[in-house]
Amino acid sequence: MERECVRKLKDGKMAKVRLIIEDGVIKDVKITGDFFAHPEDGIEIIEKELIGKELYSARQAIESASGGIALVGLHVEDLIAMVQECLDGSMG
Amino acid sequence: MNRLRVIGFEYGDAAFNMALDETIMKSVGSGRAPPTLRLYGWDPPAVSIGYFQEIREEVDLEFCHEEGIQVVRRLSGGGAVLHTSKELTYSFAVEISDPSVPQDVQGSYIKICAPIVSALREIGVPASFRPINDIEVKKRKISGNAQTRRFGAILQHGTVLLGMDYSLLPALKVRAEKFAGKGVGDVARRITTVAEILGREVAHGEFSEILVRKFADQFGADAHYSTLSEEERIAPTLEERYRSIDWTFRR
Repeated sequence: MERECVRKLKDGKMAKVRLIIEDGVIKDVKITGDFFAHPEDGIEIIEKELIGKELYSARQAIESASGGIALVGLHVEDLIAMVQECLDGSMG
Repeated sequence: MNRLRVIGFEYGDAAFNMALDETIMKSVGSGRAPPTLRLYGWDPPAVSIGYFQEIREEVDLEFCHEEGIQVVRRLSGGGAVLHTSKELTYSFAVEISDPSVPQDVQGSYIKICAPIVSALREIGVPASFRPINDIEVKKRKISGNAQTRRFGAILQHGTVLLGMDYSLLPALKVRAEKFAGKGVGDVARRITTVAEILGREVAHGEFSEILVRKFADQFGADAHYSTLSEEERIAPTLEERYRSIDWTFRR
């Protein structure tokens, strides 16, 4: 199933997380919006890290993948909260 | 910074403009070119979207097609921008290790936007920097700026709204979440232009010259107007990438 979470962030930026979940496993994820990430590939690294993960390990996957990435206008905690919101929706 | 290379104002189309920014960034980042300030405009008009944006969420593709507005995805993050012929665009590239630009992203926006604020003030526009990456006059945006850090370089490019063709604004989709369900009129009310503030047109060339002087002052550098190097002049494959469906629709 597909879940989506859109947020207006603290500094006025927007972010959207879209997840495809099957049998409790993240099959696909796209993080989009008008934030900045340096290096830019960092967002793709986070996405790749999440794919194949079970729902309960999403937070850990984001935390470990976002280590060397400078996010601007979007915080790691926003990302975790948004993924969590998608996941909560999927189990409800 | 001793020397600032300046590539003088010229109009280009969207893919050319973005390919040239990337080309310059690569030659600066590898030490084959000095820090560079490039000034340019957009012809035909275009929408550029941020590296992480979802194109269908941001752009009215049908309107753009009907009005002959090009659409291009930038290398930099940030938001969607409508570029009309009345806008002046700059790009500034330095090596990532250049001590004159702060490593922290917010600090570097402040430093690189300062000469733009100063140039606007010199012509009588009471502009100020607004974090993270905007320049405003009376709470209205007059300049948007975006960075990318790759290839050993920092590239910051951004807009100066000398004027605006408001009839093209429907090219941008208004996000309900961002503007609390209001229409295009609200985008128009959130921006302003030099022409509106001063009640007169300021030519691209006139403002470019002031901007060059302010950048040179800010970085303690001598500005030298120059042309592109041989390797920078020919980047057709790069231009093709910016025109490709794969790149434009990748998110």
